[in-house]
Amino acid sequence: MAANAGNKIRNAKLVLLGDVGAGKSSLVLRFVKGQFVEFQESTIGAAFFSQTLAVNDETVKFEIWDTAGQERYHSLAPMYYRGAAAAIVVYDITNLASFTRAKKWVQELQAQGNPNTIVALAGNKADMLDARQVPAEEAKTYAQENGLFFMETSAKTAINVNDIFYEIAKRLLQGQQDPSPQAGMVLNQRPNERMVSSSSCCS
Amino acid sequence: MPATTHTIRYNTGKKTLFNARLMSVKFEDLYGFMVEGNVDDVNVLNEVRERIREQGRVWWALEANKGANWYLQPKISSNEGVISVTSLKLSVLTNTITLRRLIRKGVPPVLRPKVWLSVSGAAKKRSTVPETYYDELIRATEGKTTPATRQIDHDLPRTFPCHPWLNSEEGQASLRRVLVGYSFRDSEVGYCQGLNYVAALLLLVMKTEEDAFWMLAVLLENVLVSDCYTDTLSGCHVEQRVFKDLLAKKCPRIAAHLEAMGFDVSLVATEWFLCLFSKSLPSETTLRVWDVLFNEGAKVLFHVALAIFKMREDDLLRIQHIGDVIDILQTTTHHLYDPDELLTTLVDDHLPFLFQFAFDKIGSMTTNTITKERKKQETVVMAELDQRIRRLSTLKMDG
Repeated sequence: MAANAGNKIRNAKLVLLGDVGAGKSSLVLRFVKGQFVEFQESTIGAAFFSQTLAVNDETVKFEIWDTAGQERYHSLAPMYYRGAAAAIVVYDITNLASFTRAKKWVQELQAQGNPNTIVALAGNKADMLDARQVPAEEAKTYAQENGLFFMETSAKTAINVNDIFYEIAKRLLQGQQDPSPQAGMVLNQRPNERMVSSSSCCS
Repeated sequence: MPATTHTIRYNTGKKTLFNARLMSVKFEDLYGFMVEGNVDDVNVLNEVRERIREQGRVWWALEANKGANWYLQPKISSNEGVISVTSLKLSVLTNTITLRRLIRKGVPPVLRPKVWLSVSGAAKKRSTVPETYYDELIRATEGKTTPATRQIDHDLPRTFPCHPWLNSEEGQASLRRVLVGYSFRDSEVGYCQGLNYVAALLLLVMKTEEDAFWMLAVLLENVLVSDCYTDTLSGCHVEQRVFKDLLAKKCPRIAAHLEAMGFDVSLVATEWFLCLFSKSLPSETTLRVWDVLFNEGAKVLFHVALAIFKMREDDLLRIQHIGDVIDILQTTTHHLYDPDELLTTLVDDHLPFLFQFAFDKIGSMTTNTITKERKKQETVVMAELDQRIRRLSTLKMDG
């Protein structure tokens, strides 16, 4: 999505991916409406939201696609991440399987998506520390190795929710000016994979 | 009676639609959903209530005339194409035509269970198995945990929490049995998200669990295209491609405009087809679509999807942002409290009526046309899904 000519509003397509029940919809609802609902209606296909965010004197208008988490819906995912400026891959810190699933999403994005897509990793449900199954350190290391930026979030208590979107907005604007955004300042361990396979991307 | 809430929202569309006033109200719709709308929605709903009563009188009068349960007589399936006239009594033919016309105008809610079971073929399906089938199936599933049951349990409290009964323990237990039961009946489908909404609405209409179960079975096994809900949703992919082709044919200007914007209509239509509109349209409007779905087949889904686009053609052609397309379509569907806007020909009104659109403006599409389209798309979809799986499996090594 190109930036609007004249003013400083930049439209940015953002997609949320992650295992079923990781809290993708809750994160969006918290960010867009400032609400939290214990039982969020399950998403079918994907739900769309938009929200603007001001960063200094510029504005980013997020067009957010919140996708369905069930495995069989994954065949629909390319439609949503195609052409996305940013992606948030969400897992549930109390559910190890959801972290494994998140890694698969990251791989798929790296191989199929746009190489310039900013990818964030969100460890959600950070309020439920007693039930934690995914150590923050492990996720952090994984994120560094893969050039993602990482935050633990809680849609319930709102911790880091606005921050993760704000950080994405900041990076989007940086990336616009600077051809090599400082995505984490980490050496990418598999630089070739991203470069080579990205040529087959479908945007 | 609707209670006015304190919330004053701006209308979600860019322009005020349907003359809507700004006050947001919460009210109970015809099937007990607590919904939020505006004052005009409430008025429309009251008119619809009155029309349903009138329609009921038409059905009772016919019953008095033709005998009780006349509509349960064998009908001519519109899907079978060639009708062998010699083998038919004229009265059956007349009844079939009368029934189709009547069903398009809406089945009265109290008659829906009986009529749906009959016209959909669910009753026939049930008659082929022992009477204890459902009870035994449910007993066999008790205490068993599968990926399907885990997903079902996860979704139960997330299925129309705005409906008091579905939000109750009793309602959720009922919905659970229907979904779990079906996941054991057809392990290829198992459970697919989306079916929770379909089954929930079936329960509200059919009243008994067993009837809801058989309606779900006939829907998945006979009414809809196959593989809509299986592992890769390939049937759903096929329907989406067919829909895109139909949109290009029937609404070429909209299709071209949206394509130029980079808007893929499947972004919105996927949910429509997987939930059979139950998540988008108000309940009575959805059920009017289902009346036709069970009697005439899945082609009505295309009619209705096209009609939703068509009735907003002028607005859609004006806008330039993807977000606005979605706003327009969502606002339109959420406020379609009048099913006749969608389904029948209303004479003296100039408003765009969706059902009028669905059947008149969209023009005829036979089941045959759709079947041919589907055949064409199936190969493409299979190749695409196959390619995707192959691409992804090359990533697995460093999993």
